[in-house]
This record gives sequence, structure tokens and C-alpha cells, in this order.
Amino acid sequence: MRSKIIKKILDETPEETKIFVARYAELVVLINSILREKGYTQKMLADKLGKQPSEIHKWLSGDHNFTLRSLAKLEAELGETLLVVPKRASVNDFKQCGSTVTYKVTVNREEIVRRNTQQGWTQPAKIQLLANVG
Amino acid sequence: MNSFELKLWDDEGAKCTFYSVLQNGHSETETDKFFSRVDNPSHSFQEELQMLVQLLIDSIGNKYGAIDDFFTRNENLVFALPPRSRSKIFEVSLLGLNFPWRLYCYRISESIVVLFNGGLKESQRVQESPDLHFKFQEAQVFASKIEEALSEGMIVVAADGRTLTDYQGNPEIIC
Repeated sequence: MRSKIIKKILDETPEETKIFVARYAELVVLINSILREKGYTQKMLADKLGKQPSEIHKWLSGDHNFTLRSLAKLEAELGETLLVVPKRASVNDFKQCGSTVTYKVTVNREEIVRRNTQQGWTQPAKIQLLANVG
Repeated sequence: MNSFELKLWDDEGAKCTFYSVLQNGHSETETDKFFSRVDNPSHSFQEELQMLVQLLIDSIGNKYGAIDDFFTRNENLVFALPPRSRSKIFEVSLLGLNFPWRLYCYRISESIVVLFNGGLKESQRVQESPDLHFKFQEAQVFASKIEEALSEGMIVVAADGRTLTDYQGNPEIIC
């Protein structure tokens, strides 16, 4: 069960606010877990991070990347990755087994036609099927 | 203070069940009263209120449970959400939820939390925010009664670890 007022507030909450809180919670839990694992106290870490007040002042004075910089600084001091940017699947992929390298190439024919048309290239009269060239 | 009932407030999350307090003769739980009173799209802290709800329902209720990381702001028996910012660590404080809403609660376990009322902290000290101070004192009384009932076995955590019953196994809990 869930109360009506909470449903209403959740429904009206912008997606970016939801993402912000989710990331905040993930980071707090992760940072606390690393601090416990490494036996760091808050003060020890604060002292380590407090060595460059000029840099902190710069962040405070409106650098829009301060959150990313803060994360980088924390990652450097903690020696742990806090933020992982997902890698998109590559168009070209290959697998290596022993000394043999096998390339797998996937060609999107419709995309080639679309791009060629957009850029004013001549559309080939006949499209060659090139998928999975080995 | 008259007797009150512990009412199931939200059990849709995978990690934590929330209860609230329904005072004798009242039609709304204390937590619904709080959110109904402060939910206002034109309020200057409306986004922060949405963050508080998101933290409560998603992060605590669904993902992590009522773990220590989120319960860092307490006085006597009562905790207040959102968690205290780690102000000593500048980089972490930047990530924190620093806003003046306070929602009081009593943590029975990582899987069960009783929510009370709350308000806007408009001054450095709770005692100087008249409305919040009253809610804070009220929360202390609720928490004290709940703790007493738990220690006397009048309220029992059910075998599933997610629900409360009275000493006879009934879901209707009067304190």
C-alpha cells in the first residue's frame, strides 16, 4: 500500500530529481563503505582533501564541473572508482582466440543509404551485402 | 497524549516497510499530515520535498533499507531525515542533501521504520523553530511509547522481519 499524497508527489517529481537522489544515495553508500574498508575516519580524509584550498575556492566560485571534479578528487584520494560511465556497444567488434584475430563487421545498409543521400552522394544502384565479413 | 495506532504506511519497497502513527480521533496519519501540509508546487523548497520523498521511498524503501548511512541525524530515540551532510568533507558535502525539511522517525530495524510528522527547520536550532520543535517533542513521545511496547513484547516484529503485530499476532497495533 502507498498513500495518495506520496503517489502524487512521486508522480510530479521530475526525472532528473529522481536520478539525482538515486546517484546521491549510491555515492553515499559507496563512499562510506570504502571509508570503513580502508579504516579512514572522516577527519583523515578531510585533512587529505583540504590541502589545496585555492582549488576548493575555485570550485565554490562557480565552476560548473565542480561535482565531477569533486568526484575525481575523491577517487584519487580513496584510490577507488566512484563513477563508471557505461560503454556503448561498438559497431566494430572483434574476438581474439590465441594468435588468430577474428573481426566481425556489421553494416547497416539502410544507414549507408540514408547518410549517402543526406550528404548528396550518389546512392549505389545495387547495395552489396557485406554483413559478417570474416 | 492519548493512545495511538501504528498504521502500515508504505510496504511497496523491496527493503523496508514504513509505518506511521494515527492518533486517536484523527483521520490522517502523522506522516500524511506532514506531506499534505507541505506539498505545494509553488513552495520554494518543493524540489527538496520531492528529494526527501524519493530518498525515503526509493533509496531507503526499495534499494538499501534503513541502513546507518541514511540515519545520521538523531537526538535521543528519534532520527530525522534527510541524513546529515558530511560537512567535514567538502567533496562529499557537495553531494549531500542540504535542505531544511525534517521528517522524524523511529528505526526499529533496517527493514521497519515508523515515520512521524516533521516540518521546516527555519533556524539553527530546532528549539527556535516553533512548529518543528513541537513535532520533534511529539516524535520523542511516540518513539518512547513504541520502544516501551517493543521491550515489553506488546509489539512484535513478525517472522518475515518486515511487519509488526501486537502480542497476539494481530496487525492492529495500539500503543
